Amino acid sequence: MALSLRNPTLINRDQHKMSYYFTILSPTDTPLFNIAFGTSKGGGDGIARFRFPETAQYMNQFIIHSSLDILEEAQWTNGSMYLKHIDTYPPAAAYITAFLTPSGARFLLLHQPPHLPSSTGSSGLGASSLLGSAGSTTRASSSSIAANPTSPQTEEAVRQFMNEVYENYVKTAMNPFYKQGMEIKSPVFRTRVTAAGKKWL
Amino acid sequence: MYNLEFENTIMFLNYTIALSDLGTLSNMGVFSLIIINKAGGLIYQREFQAGLRKLSTNDYLVLAGTFHGVHAITRSITPKIPSVQPPSPATSSPSTTTPAASHSYPNPGVPVTGLDYLETDKFRLTCFQTLTGTKFLLFTDPLTGNVDTIVQKIYELYADFVMKNPFYQIEMPVRCEAFDRHLGAWLRGRT
Amino acid sequence: MSSNKTSRIGEETRVDKVNAELVTLTYGTIVAQLCQDYDSNYQDVNKQLEKMGYNIGMRLIEDFLAKSGVGRCANFRDTADMIAKVGFKIFLNVTPTVTNWTSDNTQFSLIFEENPLADFVELPDDGRAQDELWFSNILCGVLRGALEMVQMQIEAHFVSDVLRGDDTTEMRVSLVRYIEDEMPPEEE
Repeated sequence: MALSLRNPTLINRDQHKMSYYFTILSPTDTPLFNIAFGTSKGGGDGIARFRFPETAQYMNQFIIHSSLDILEEAQWTNGSMYLKHIDTYPPAAAYITAFLTPSGARFLLLHQPPHLPSSTGSSGLGASSLLGSAGSTTRASSSSIAANPTSPQTEEAVRQFMNEVYENYVKTAMNPFYKQGMEIKSPVFRTRVTAAGKKWL
Repeated sequence: MYNLEFENTIMFLNYTIALSDLGTLSNMGVFSLIIINKAGGLIYQREFQAGLRKLSTNDYLVLAGTFHGVHAITRSITPKIPSVQPPSPATSSPSTTTPAASHSYPNPGVPVTGLDYLETDKFRLTCFQTLTGTKFLLFTDPLTGNVDTIVQKIYELYADFVMKNPFYQIEMPVRCEAFDRHLGAWLRGRT
Repeated sequence: MSSNKTSRIGEETRVDKVNAELVTLTYGTIVAQLCQDYDSNYQDVNKQLEKMGYNIGMRLIEDFLAKSGVGRCANFRDTADMIAKVGFKIFLNVTPTVTNWTSDNTQFSLIFEENPLADFVELPDDGRAQDELWFSNILCGVLRGALEMVQMQIEAHFVSDVLRGDDTTEMRVSLVRYIEDEMPPEEE
């Protein structure tokens, strides 16, 4: 898993790179698909480096699921499929962007800005930093797409990403051997989501 | 057996006479339609005019079978002329060894059809055989033109509403209400 | 009949249009359902698809003949051309390439550049479907049924399919024999 690739020198070079966790949930909140990747724009290597690699898998899912209530509120106040940034989880500096298909499948993208230079020195991250307020400092760090999850550029880039994934999701759902509500195992779909991530984020 | 054949033929002629009585009454042109499957069985029979003399169901079956036989005979008696070219060595088929190979039909490119139509001064019977062996027999007024077009249209309707009806069993009698309806409507529409 | 003329018939023959994706989804659902019903016994699924195609072919041939108005083919090469350029063109709007003839002109291959039946399809990843299921096997049956109605007994099977990861989708068609339409047996 790419998550384990973590060493201080790389992190330093990739300060402005974002880590992403993308997941698709069925209308009844069953996870159908998830993938972690990092920024590819501006020379990024596309590898996710979450702050807490050991627990990122579960933390990310936890954070995403905890935003579902807000999503369900937002879907009635916003007529479009793309709901933009809907939730933030400051302790992990995680930003959630959502996209709803007309059939009720939820596409959720978690962005996590990179480590701050100050924190790279201490590679041993414990539970204490989980509760730290890294989020506020990150937001101020840069206005580039990667580093600012709420900027209009980012929202536009994510919109493009979501639309491309949606198109491929429809094709996958058209596969006669795919049963609605089942986990999406198609390697083709995974490749295409990866490609979309590379293209837009 | 030959006696029976003979009887069939008589009945067939009776039927044609029955039709010819009506020739003068008609202004519509198409009297009736019979469809015969490739085994010679009657699968469809319908009149398009009131007052036609009717045959019993059994007689229609016999008529269909008789026509089928006559048609096959007319095919087989199509004259062949001695072939001009020597038998081609290129064909590897074993049929080249049969005596028939030294004779060919006058126009080898055109397949032998058998009986195409039969005409009296009161009516005309047009036989259209599809490549799959089904025969459409159309009884019309001898003055009716464009019979080929009519038959072609009937064939299309047959393809649409009989063959494409999933509950129609191939080679079995046609009982397709939609076919009846469209056929009737189309024939009415063109007069 | 010249090859160009054949192509023209394929272009011009009028047919009612139907949304291609509806056809694709319908066919896909049938195959998926068969796979389920036969417990993923793909040999049986192939066989069943062929049988369904056979029944379709026997009916479709009349439609083909009635609407295209073509006459009898002079030889099997003509037949192959007719299948590819008129039949497939009318019914699936594709024109497979006819190739790989044997020297005795009784076997040829149809290479499908595109296959509308298989759009969106990814075979089940159970490790066997990739080697055993011929997803579009119904087409083999259609050809067998249609040609049988015009007095040709043939055998058709797929030899490769892009769905399985092959480079091409290829169907092999072999003429077994011409069925002589004989006179009714002489009554003695």
